[in-house]
Amino acid sequence: MKKKLLIAILLLPLLAAVIGLVVLYHLPLDLEDRAPSQPIAFSHRQHVGEMAIDCRFCHRSVDVSAIAGIPDVDLCRACHLFIAVDRPEITRLAEFWQQNQPIPWERLYRIPDHTYFPHMMHLNAGLECGGCHGAVETMAVTRRVVATKMGWCLNCHREHGASIDCWTCHR
Amino acid sequence: MKRRTFLQLSGMAAAGSALAGCRKGNEKLIPFLVPPEDGATPGIADWYASACRQCPAGCGILVKVSAGRARKVEGNPRHPINRGKLCPRGQSLVQELYHPDRLRTPLKRSGPRGSGQFVQISWEEALATLADRLRPLAPGDAGKSAVLWTPPLQGYLAELVARFGQGVGRLQHLAWEPFAPEWRRQSLYGHQGLIDYDIENTQYLVSFGADFIDSHLSPVRFNYAFGRMRQERPTVRGRFTYVGPRLSLTAASADRWLPARPGTEWTIAMAMAKRLLPQVEPRVLAAAGLDTAELARLTEPYSVAVVAELTGVRATDIEAAVAKLVAIRPALVIAGEMLVAQRNGPEALRAVELLNLLLGSVNTPGGVYLTRPEAPGNDSSLAELQQTLATLQAGNCDLLLLQGVNPTYNLPPGFGFTEALAQVPLVVSCATFLDDTVRFADLVLPDHANLESWGEAIPSAGARGHTVGLLQGVVKPLHDSRSFPDLLIALAQTLGGATGAAVSEKSFLEGLQQRHAAGNPARWNELLAQGGIFPAEAAPPEPLRQVSLGRPELPPAADADPDFPLQLQIYPSSAFHDGHGAALPWLQQLPDPMTTAVWGSWLEINPQTAARLGIAHGDLVEVGSAAGTVQLPAFLYPGIRPEVVATPLGQGHQGLGRYADGRGVNPLQLSSAPEGGGGFPVPGTIPVRVRRLSEAGELVTAGHPEGSYRRELLGI
Repeated sequence: MKKKLLIAILLLPLLAAVIGLVVLYHLPLDLEDRAPSQPIAFSHRQHVGEMAIDCRFCHRSVDVSAIAGIPDVDLCRACHLFIAVDRPEITRLAEFWQQNQPIPWERLYRIPDHTYFPHMMHLNAGLECGGCHGAVETMAVTRRVVATKMGWCLNCHREHGASIDCWTCHR
Repeated sequence: MKRRTFLQLSGMAAAGSALAGCRKGNEKLIPFLVPPEDGATPGIADWYASACRQCPAGCGILVKVSAGRARKVEGNPRHPINRGKLCPRGQSLVQELYHPDRLRTPLKRSGPRGSGQFVQISWEEALATLADRLRPLAPGDAGKSAVLWTPPLQGYLAELVARFGQGVGRLQHLAWEPFAPEWRRQSLYGHQGLIDYDIENTQYLVSFGADFIDSHLSPVRFNYAFGRMRQERPTVRGRFTYVGPRLSLTAASADRWLPARPGTEWTIAMAMAKRLLPQVEPRVLAAAGLDTAELARLTEPYSVAVVAELTGVRATDIEAAVAKLVAIRPALVIAGEMLVAQRNGPEALRAVELLNLLLGSVNTPGGVYLTRPEAPGNDSSLAELQQTLATLQAGNCDLLLLQGVNPTYNLPPGFGFTEALAQVPLVVSCATFLDDTVRFADLVLPDHANLESWGEAIPSAGARGHTVGLLQGVVKPLHDSRSFPDLLIALAQTLGGATGAAVSEKSFLEGLQQRHAAGNPARWNELLAQGGIFPAEAAPPEPLRQVSLGRPELPPAADADPDFPLQLQIYPSSAFHDGHGAALPWLQQLPDPMTTAVWGSWLEINPQTAARLGIAHGDLVEVGSAAGTVQLPAFLYPGIRPEVVATPLGQGHQGLGRYADGRGVNPLQLSSAPEGGGGFPVPGTIPVRVRRLSEAGELVTAGHPEGSYRRELLGI
């Protein structure tokens, strides 16, 4: 009896550790990856939510190219030559411009190698940006809302009756 | 291990792997500062047509450019030379563009010559220094001269250089590089124009030392034609015989290989001529200024039995090749570099080419086509090179301006180029890499890479009409470099006076546009889009004039020199050409087609000879000639005559960037004197001795069980 208790006492922490690890694995702890601090604290809430600027004003190639494109520094500066010039974040933007340096944004979404994801086809098929990217108009700090894994792609393709042939994406 | 230690270690391992998960996993997204003027859309590529200058073949290319960066090079399907195909050297052009060791700004020497110590200077200072040296050369003034040394130039650039030289005054232009088709001057056809072999329509092909699949004249063009000769016709598969001491990739593609002793290949041609002669009508020979009786006398001694004795090839094999050539039409005979580089090369070349005349294969389908060029080439001969070197050595030259050539590497020490350099007060080099020769320069001017340059690529072989490939600057220059023609134009503007008047164009691009589509921007865009000016139909072939017969002499017996019993053959590498490709890692990693060796040099040696000398595969051996010794790993290779050893040219650089520097061996160090025929600085064979040093040859091959993953041997 005493021996069984001893074994149970020894096994219990081990079990707890295993359960803990499983829980940890499933918890969304990669916060820094999903919502990293950017070189300039750009707010989608302000630009999209409050100013109601269309996504395509900045991400200009999204409906013509596989790549949505991020705005060149010149485009940011075009507005901020006149708007909110004296805010600290805009001063940093001006500094990048003056030093001839592009802004090294942290990347949020990455499609794995050997996978072809054309933005324009999804957009032209009538999907909304927010379907994948979430409600950016509410995000002061932009965060990743989906994990770009194959199962996620397939679910959506099945749902919309899109092709799930290997060659559709892996080419 | 104690249980406690085990638990400690597993705990540490678990903690370690958990920590790895805390690493930040994001990449960076770097936007443009200002978008490119032509409004590049990210993710969408443009394809621009241009031309490849990696070898004299002049293939057309298409370059994939997206977001202002060149990403991939392919063959241009509309170009008549390569028809959409491309070799690895062309594919590697992107590596030349992005090479980490490219010259980025003008440099001035700060240490002693050859030390490789330079300081950055401005283009203004560089141009002023150069102009100060060029001013005193004005015609009329007495004094020393200057030499401009480039590879053979064509078209607009050749004309620009000529005008610049006349404007400056005493500026001598030497247009010489090792594997330029200049050797074709020695040809039976007496012809320096366009040459094309109609391989695809021939039924029987014999190559005498012409490695047209590896490197001969226009390898992509001839590879394409060879494929069609073999497989494109429904009922005929063309036959192919190769004559030469080493089994090259070309020889390995043949139905029959006749491994003749080096220097005796032409005797097989004589045996063929002897058998063909009775079939030939005397008036055909008379038209070329030949006498049937004289030819009969010349070929009389060369019966198959005698030739078998001379060449060391089985008589039945020679007989089979001769019988085929007599029976099959159309037939074509090609003579190439490995034949011409022999001491009796020029004569042997003419002796072999006589066969095409006897076969009736000159300017006929399945034969050799000769076309008069639009403008004569300006290639200099080996004799002119030697004269120039004598001028330098005598101290009669104030300025040596080098562009696109690397004589320190490509000339054997016997030429005395390094000593000659010491006599020149100012050596200026216009180059993309700090190569073997640039190290000795006083002033280094960075040149554009191929993909940044505008210009023309005019093929000298493989076409039957005036073909001009247009080089297009497909990306903005990455560094503070200037193309050579624009450098000359800037110099002319700095100099002013007669030179400024002679070279009055604003830029090379503007001149090029003026030349090909004056005042017609639409036409210019059309030419650029298709990649050049391609003839709609073949130009009328140039008939044969009087021909001079080749009367080669036999080489000395193989064992003539007991000190150096073996013959070393140096062949152009299919990846590096004359050596400048060695800078690019893709070409270094490209397995040699016959040995699968990568990232180094090796010595091909017959297993019989190796067994006699006690050498095993991969051993380190010393190869010694009258001029010096080098150390190489041995590669036991059955495809070579027992008395011949062979090594490729291309490695053994001092300089030329991190991937080439100090890697492998330059076999030209074994060549003693400027000898050899046909405009080659290297004799076809060098008498050598080989001895084993150790087992540590450090040979790296892709076919090795450990393969090219033996990175510790590569050292990168």
